[in-house]
Amino acid sequence: MLQFARDYLPLYFQGTLVAIAVTALSMLLSVAIGLAAALGRLSGSRAARSIVSAYVAFFRGIPPLVLLYVVYFGLPSWAEQMGIRPLAAFLAPLNNRVLSAVIAFGVNSGAYSTEIIRSAIASIPHEQMEAAQSLGMSYWLAMRRIIVPQSARVAFPPLGNEFIAVLKGTSLASVIGVTELMRDAQLVAAATFQNLMAYSLAGVYYVVLVIMLQGAVGWIEGRLSLAHK
Amino acid sequence: MDRTVGFVSASREAAGAPRDPLPAPDRGDRGSRPERPVLELNGVGKTFGRHPPIAALSDVSLIVNRGESVAVVGPSGSGKTTLLRCINFLVPYDSGRVLVNGRLVGYRERQGRLVPDTEPRVNEIRKRIGMVFQRFNLFPHRTVLGNLLEGPLYVLKVPRTQAVQRAKAALELVGLTDKIDAYPGQLSGGQQQRVAIARALCMEPELMLFDEVTSALDPELVGEVLAVIRRLAQQGMTMVIVTHEMAFARDVADRVVFMEAGRIVADQPAVDFFMKPATPRIEAFLSRFAVPGRPG
Repeated sequence: MLQFARDYLPLYFQGTLVAIAVTALSMLLSVAIGLAAALGRLSGSRAARSIVSAYVAFFRGIPPLVLLYVVYFGLPSWAEQMGIRPLAAFLAPLNNRVLSAVIAFGVNSGAYSTEIIRSAIASIPHEQMEAAQSLGMSYWLAMRRIIVPQSARVAFPPLGNEFIAVLKGTSLASVIGVTELMRDAQLVAAATFQNLMAYSLAGVYYVVLVIMLQGAVGWIEGRLSLAHK
Repeated sequence: MDRTVGFVSASREAAGAPRDPLPAPDRGDRGSRPERPVLELNGVGKTFGRHPPIAALSDVSLIVNRGESVAVVGPSGSGKTTLLRCINFLVPYDSGRVLVNGRLVGYRERQGRLVPDTEPRVNEIRKRIGMVFQRFNLFPHRTVLGNLLEGPLYVLKVPRTQAVQRAKAALELVGLTDKIDAYPGQLSGGQQQRVAIARALCMEPELMLFDEVTSALDPELVGEVLAVIRRLAQQGMTMVIVTHEMAFARDVADRVVFMEAGRIVADQPAVDFFMKPATPRIEAFLSRFAVPGRPG
């Protein structure tokens, strides 16, 4: 068993790196969407609020695997069939597996990030906005300089959890052939017929990754609260 | 009296300096007419809610001239705080007019009717009005210096070196030079409130509003904050001070305004207000405070 681990562990390295990269890019997209959507939802615009509500309701409801299939198998070929050239050209990058995965996971997780960031912003006392406005700041300047920076500290721990959830979710990308950690495990299993060992090793990798991530989140959280004391 | 850090003279220069993009309506005819009051309220009214509507302010008129400090006193819920917040339009009033330096706050006139003004124009006026809150409302994620730079750097667009200079001068005035790198959470309530005053001063305001700034403080910390306000009064800062500190109002304010149920009931020179109360109601109100030197 140990011999098996020793022989095959290195084969998982590359997949691990891919999984981390896909997670990081997805979260980047997710937080960007989340911040924009949260600000839109809190803004006075009724249209922005309904669009954001619809986005959250839809993408929180759709399973990531379904979304992944729609994005990778569905969208580019649909654009081809429609024969609208600019649309086809626009969606062509989705033929790239990694990009498809990043977009599917990012858009999916963005719905959760929206709620996390929205409630973080809402948790900042209203007096902070008033104090900023009494200095002559506009709503958006106050958001940028005063409210959003303070809410970052509140949003960080739940966003850390979301990061972990997305990391584990990247295993789904194996079904569209992204050679991430889970895909490596499938390849090892197919080559050795040692299914239990092959998949357990992948599991160990995920657990170690998540523990490391949790440590990093805790450390950064500590740093962030230090800045206030 | 300490005149080494003169925020008032600085703000007067600023009012006439070319950096000021707003033509003050009183400029140019200063010689022929008496100077326009810094603050003018004409029949200001504000109602909250609809079921039932509650009148927070009704028909409030008040004039504050340059260099004057006016204390606003009265029982809780009498509209004192709402009055202050209408002045810088944190609360939009719904009737009457508020004029700061002769400029209508929050509304503009269109075909004889008042329509809400744009945010940038409201901010243009807010820049010149410093406000200090009951609960300090410092920015907890920024150091003391950061708090003081926020307005000058990002609103007034003052060069950094100049903004830092201003911040240091303001901290000297409030006596907190040694706390420049502290975070608000590391300061006592009194220190936080003094930083809040300094933050407002860094904008070089022409008018300062104080909203019960000592009400949230431990009794032994009240003095240090009042001392700073007293100092500003001596420097000739124009101020409206909502307070429950009667002795302080008597010593520092030029005039005292008494409010009840959203109305101004009395507006008298400070000495008269305490020595010759205008109504039995004020007499009764004052009797609950021990004001040194007051009979009874």
